[in-house]
Amino acid sequence: MAKFNVWWRRGSGFVWFSGATLALSLLMIGGLVGYIAVKGLGFFWPTPLVQAMTPEGPVLGEISSHEKAQGEDAAKLQFHVGNRDVYGQDFRWIPKTALHDFSTPADAVLVERLEYGPFIGRVKSLDQGGQPIAQGEAALAAIGTRLSGAVKLQRTIHRIEKKDVGALNSQIEALRIETHRAELKGADTGPLAARSQQLQASYAAAEARLATLRTEAGAVTVTLSTADGQTKTLPLASIVRIVPANALGVFGKSRIYLSRLWEFLWDDPRESNTEGGIFPAIFGTVMMVLIMSILVVPLGVVASLFMREYAKQGWLLRTLRVAVNNLAGVPSIVFGVFGLGFFVYGVGGSIDKLLFSDKLPTPTYGTGGILWASLTLALLTVPVVIVATEEALASVPRSQREASLALGATKWQTIRNVVLPGAAPGILTGLILAMARGAGEVAPLMLTGVVKLAPSMPLDGSFPFLHLDRKFMHMGFHIYDVGFQSPNSEAAKPMVFMTALLLLLVVVILNLFALRLRSRLRARAGGGGAF
Amino acid sequence: MTRHFENELRDLKFSLLAMAGQVEEMIALTQQTLQERSNAKAERVSQLDQSVDESELRLDQACIDLLALRAPFASDLRLIASTLKIVPELERIGDHCCNIARRALVLNLQPPVLKGDYLQRLGSDTHSMVRRAVDAFVNGDAAQARAVIQDDDQVDALYMQIYSELLRGMLADPLCIERSSHLIIVIKNWERIADQASNIAEEVLFILEGVNVKHSYLQGPPKS
Amino acid sequence: MTDLDPEHTVSEPVSIPARTVDGQKPDHPNLPPRLTDIPLTDASVLSAESILHIEEVKLWYGEKQALFDINLEVARHTVMALIGPSGCGKSTLLRCINRMNDLIGSVRIEGRIKVGQDDIYAPDVDVIELRKRMGMVFQKSNPFPKSIYENVAYGLRIQGIKERAVLDEAVERSLIASGLWDEVKDRLQESGLGLSGGQQQRLCIARALAIKPEVLLMDEPCSALDPLATSRIEELIFELKRDFTIVIVTHNMQQAARVSDFTAFFWMGKLIEVGLTEKLFTNPRVRMTEDYISGRFG
Repeated sequence: MAKFNVWWRRGSGFVWFSGATLALSLLMIGGLVGYIAVKGLGFFWPTPLVQAMTPEGPVLGEISSHEKAQGEDAAKLQFHVGNRDVYGQDFRWIPKTALHDFSTPADAVLVERLEYGPFIGRVKSLDQGGQPIAQGEAALAAIGTRLSGAVKLQRTIHRIEKKDVGALNSQIEALRIETHRAELKGADTGPLAARSQQLQASYAAAEARLATLRTEAGAVTVTLSTADGQTKTLPLASIVRIVPANALGVFGKSRIYLSRLWEFLWDDPRESNTEGGIFPAIFGTVMMVLIMSILVVPLGVVASLFMREYAKQGWLLRTLRVAVNNLAGVPSIVFGVFGLGFFVYGVGGSIDKLLFSDKLPTPTYGTGGILWASLTLALLTVPVVIVATEEALASVPRSQREASLALGATKWQTIRNVVLPGAAPGILTGLILAMARGAGEVAPLMLTGVVKLAPSMPLDGSFPFLHLDRKFMHMGFHIYDVGFQSPNSEAAKPMVFMTALLLLLVVVILNLFALRLRSRLRARAGGGGAF
Repeated sequence: MTRHFENELRDLKFSLLAMAGQVEEMIALTQQTLQERSNAKAERVSQLDQSVDESELRLDQACIDLLALRAPFASDLRLIASTLKIVPELERIGDHCCNIARRALVLNLQPPVLKGDYLQRLGSDTHSMVRRAVDAFVNGDAAQARAVIQDDDQVDALYMQIYSELLRGMLADPLCIERSSHLIIVIKNWERIADQASNIAEEVLFILEGVNVKHSYLQGPPKS
Repeated sequence: MTDLDPEHTVSEPVSIPARTVDGQKPDHPNLPPRLTDIPLTDASVLSAESILHIEEVKLWYGEKQALFDINLEVARHTVMALIGPSGCGKSTLLRCINRMNDLIGSVRIEGRIKVGQDDIYAPDVDVIELRKRMGMVFQKSNPFPKSIYENVAYGLRIQGIKERAVLDEAVERSLIASGLWDEVKDRLQESGLGLSGGQQQRLCIARALAIKPEVLLMDEPCSALDPLATSRIEELIFELKRDFTIVIVTHNMQQAARVSDFTAFFWMGKLIEVGLTEKLFTNPRVRMTEDYISGRFG
């Protein structure tokens, strides 16, 4: 007992306890990340295609899940059979007892395509103009060589559709508004009409080109057959990837994995966000966080400066400070409602009336957009920045301010040259905290500018390049939408995990940048200080 | 707040007083040697002189140590600096006493030369000056110190008187030249002791008032 | 009258060799070098031109009075030391001279402080401009977290001076004047915080010198330094006296004795005595001064 007393008094018990709690925290974080990672990263690895016989006929697909026997229900296997256009549903639960003759045929393929989800079956033939030019295995090889060309063609069509035709559309629209305005003023619309003709001509030309390309794309087709003998013909250009899952070695599977991962990061989504990439969401998230940071830092820093340096330190200021700190506790959805009412309808509506009245009733800024969403989040995170900045400003020693003033500096010069640089590491801490909070909030965004599928991105090649009135996509919202709102939740589940992992990664990278910047500032300030 | 330094200063003063006491004893013994014409006391004077020399060494060192270690200011500084200057004066007084005693040994073997009590008066006036200078130091009495400085003129006059007397005696009777020359040396030593007493009084004034009154002919009229 | 005592050795009248001090023959051979400029008589010292006139200054922190009727003159190119126990008002008075007390809201000041001819508490005085005529060095060295170069150039930059050549010259001149040039000339871009304590204080002195002030105000500049660094800065003060006027607050009497020409003793907000340093430290007029500098209290 005495030994225990000694051990206790020495504080070793507390050391162990604190170590244990740290370990527990690390375990929880690690567990969370690990769980997401395992569930998400495995998503892209090609799984074997299993064929089995059932009383209703052969079934071919990936085994995606299984259930143990419970009470009266027997053990079941879930097959991902794809072919939604043929079967009507992607997944089938089949009792284990009904299955026999398992095999993994080498010629079974999983075809990722632009519509209707994946097709699981066998390649029958590659046709041109309706006539087969290769059959069976040769067809598979031929598809392999032509696929990249077809994909490129498809991308060109896509690009012309979105960019060129889209740009033309907006120009035509702008011209229409100008014409309308000129008509109201009674001015001459001759030159405008001429321009309109030109634009119409370009539009027609683009449409014509699109038509040619589409025909070209549609020329080559692939005929596929399902496990139970039904056939389906697809244009080659509508195939994204063809995966003979059972015939691939590790190297082949790795290549497929990397290809899918790349697509996930850099491509647009398709099939209502359950397939394809999430690049617009990544871009939207990053851009929103950046705009939010640009808005929140000046707002928070200037407010803190006023509270700390210029305002009279009385009871009113203390109350104000308490109010600001309490802002941090307001639920984020409340901020969303405020953003909707004040920014979107209030300020946005006024801007529309003043500057974009000719576009009304189509709202420009009077509806959700990346600007309002960033502003709302900036308001949400401003208390964090204010608190951190105030601490940082207070940590600049009085002796340095006195030294500056004694040399004949004004108060503003002292703030600009001594106080702010000294407080910069602390301000960046506030920014890091703000970014971490802002990147993860989803509720306020839903009300102020995030959409499931955005037609265009807020930053693109057409003037004025930065479109703050556009709606955008966001990874957090994507998770919610894909996981819980999509028509095909089963297919989407792994994607949810992958998106969550990516969101974590984006936040970590943003934080690392800020941390590096902060340590550089700290080094330049000669080290020292808690911030 | 009593400083540790106060004790050291007090010890310094006591040591100085002890040394001054010994010197005063030497003067008294010297006077008696001359008056009583006895040789026993002369021996004692010589012993005391050695003790006085030892005191000088100790006090010199004590003052240097206090200056080095205590970095004194104002009156403490003046006390120590003046002590450093009073100590050799005292030591020289002791030496002069020894000289007188040595002469006295010779003179006592011969019949007296002088008539009257001038020699005693010279001795006692000088003794009085030394005692009063030391008293002024002990009591912090600036007026007394000033009086001692004034009295030096009196002693100088008495010295001159005796000296003229002795010269006259030597001219009148060549047989007493040897005795007279010894006496001249004796009275010269008394006069020097009086000068030293006056110097001590000047140092006491510096301790008390911070004013350096030496060489008044250089200093011009006193400023307020 | 010849002295006939054979025991008494007569020293031959020897001619005292003409001694020189630093190559110059002083008027009086035994005067310490630094006083050859200033005559010993108080009258002529007082007539040396004053640059700072502190007249009837009173100061309150809220309701509490901290300075009572201070009258003090500081002569050009001299060092005035302000001594006294803690809380006696010496630092407060120092900070009045460059109006740093204005930064404390509850401070009220009456009286006049004149720099040259100008009353710095007149209502139309620009405090910022005033502070450029004063340099201040603080108790704990406080260099900015910038490079050595930027620290020294700070005072000039905030006045709007940007030309590299001007700044370079000022930085070099100030660092040489504060005795730091040789040690840092190869690392001007390094952070000022990387220097030792004594070097940092000299950097702060250089920073103050760069704006060419008329008066240098030093508030216990050596109290946080070791003896070697302290003595370097005291040597520095000797040299700086040539070009500047210095007012130094110190609680170290030995330092005041070593470094200053004049010393003012403060007690509980009152000026008790002021005078030539060597007079004050050998024979002060006021008993309280004597007791304080002998360490009998405080």
